[in-house]
Amino acid sequence: MNGPVVHDPHTLPSNDNVDPYTFCVDLSGQWFLQKGKMIAYYGRISFDGIGHGPLDRLVAASFHSPLHAADWVVAQGKGKMLLADRAFDVNSYDLDDGNLTIRSGNLLAFEPSLSLKQSIIPGFVTLLGTGKFVAASNGPVHFVEPPVRVDPQALVGWADCPSPCHHYDHRYLKGFLGGLRSLTGIGGTSGEEHQFDFVGAGTVLLQSTETLMEERDTGAPPPGQPGVPGSGGGPGGGGQLPHLPGGLGGLQRRLGL
Amino acid sequence: MLAVDLVGDTVRAKNGSMVAYEGRMSFKKLTGGGEGLRGMVSRRLTGEQMEMMEVKGQGTCYFADRAGDVNLVTLNGEKLHVESENLLCVDGSLRTGTTFTGLRGAAQGNGLFTTTVEGTGTAALMSDGPAVVLRVTPQYPLQVDPGAYVAHTGNLRQEFQTGVNFRTVIGEGGGEAFQIRFEGDGLVYVQPSERNTIGGDL
Repeated sequence: MNGPVVHDPHTLPSNDNVDPYTFCVDLSGQWFLQKGKMIAYYGRISFDGIGHGPLDRLVAASFHSPLHAADWVVAQGKGKMLLADRAFDVNSYDLDDGNLTIRSGNLLAFEPSLSLKQSIIPGFVTLLGTGKFVAASNGPVHFVEPPVRVDPQALVGWADCPSPCHHYDHRYLKGFLGGLRSLTGIGGTSGEEHQFDFVGAGTVLLQSTETLMEERDTGAPPPGQPGVPGSGGGPGGGGQLPHLPGGLGGLQRRLGL
Repeated sequence: MLAVDLVGDTVRAKNGSMVAYEGRMSFKKLTGGGEGLRGMVSRRLTGEQMEMMEVKGQGTCYFADRAGDVNLVTLNGEKLHVESENLLCVDGSLRTGTTFTGLRGAAQGNGLFTTTVEGTGTAALMSDGPAVVLRVTPQYPLQVDPGAYVAHTGNLRQEFQTGVNFRTVIGEGGGEAFQIRFEGDGLVYVQPSERNTIGGDL
C-alpha cells in the first residue's frame, strides 16, 4: 500500500493548490491574508495586524477598508505558506487590470499588487488591479453570465459587471396574505422571494451550497446615515446586532463584545 | 469512511464509530482503551479520555465519524502522536498510550496530554478535510497552527512559539499568535481547517 503524498518545501507547489482544500503561497515579500487561514508554513514569516505601524505605507497603497481591518493581517518574509479554510474548496484567481467583488468572508488572501476596497454592497469587498488572490467556496465555484438572478446565499462574487440590485417576488411580499405569510411563516414561503439581479456584461461566481461561512457583521454601514441603503432598517434590513453609538462596531468586535 | 477487512484478527476503534458491517463481528467495549490498569489510571489522571472498542470477527467492517476524512498512517515501529479525538481506528497489534505534550495542548484546548500509537501496523486518523502531510527535516523546520494540527510521527521536537505582544492585547494581533514549531526529522499531518482554539482569535 502506498502511503499518502508527503510534501516538503521543494515538492510543494508554488502559488498553486496542494489539494482542492489547501493552497500553497510561495511567499517572498508580502501578502495580505485573512486572520486564522494559515495552517502551516516553512521558512521565516511574520504576521502583523493591519494596524502595525511599519506597514502603513503598504496599507495605504492597497487596503482601503477600515471595517475589515480587524480581520486582515500582512504576512511578510520568505517561505512557503499553506492556506485553508474549514475544509472548503480553495481556488486562486488572476486578475489582469480588472475588478472583482467578492463576499468578504470568502476571500482568504491577495497579493499587495491588488488593492482591496469596500464594496457599496454590505458584506462584500472589491479587488482592483493586477495580481493573484485566493478565495474559498463551499463546493466548487460556477461561473455564470448575466442576465441572471441568483440566491443571495449562493453568491460568491462577480466580476466586470455593474452592481446587482435586489429583486423581490412581489406576489409574496405585497398584499395582506403575502405579508401574513412572511411574518408568521404560516402557509410557508419558498425561501426564494428575494434574489440578486445581475444585468450587463461580466461574470457571476456562484457556489453550490447556500450555507455561508460564519457571517461576520463587517459590511454593514454605520446606522442612520441618510441615503445609504441598509443603514436605516429598510425592507430586508433588521437582524443586525445593536451597535454602540458612534460607529464603534469594528472596535466592539475587536474587543469581542 | 473506512472499510476494514477482518479475518479473525482484531482492530481497536473509537467507541460507536461502526456504521455498518458484513459478516460476523463482535464488539467489545474496552475499559481503559485496552491499556490495562496502568493506562486506565494515567488516562484518568491526564484527562486524555479515549473510549475504544475491540472489533473481532470475519468480514468487512465500516467505520466513520462525523463525516470527517480518514487518513491511513502505516507505522513500522515509529511512534505516532495524535489527539485522541482524531484517532478513529488502530490495528490490534498497535499499542496506545498517553504522553505529555506541554504547552501546545493547552493552546489547542485539548489538555496537556496526547495519545501515542506505537508498533507495526496501520492507524486511521480523522481530519476535517483530507490531511496534508508535511515533511520536517533539520534544514526545514515547520510551523503549524495549533488548530490545524492533527498528528505527527518521527523524531520531532516541538516548541511552542508565540507572537503575543501588546498589539494582541488591544486587538491588533497578527491572527497567528500561537504556532507550534517542529524541528528534527519526521512527518506532520495538518488538516485544511481550524478547530476553535484559545489562540485562534488572537
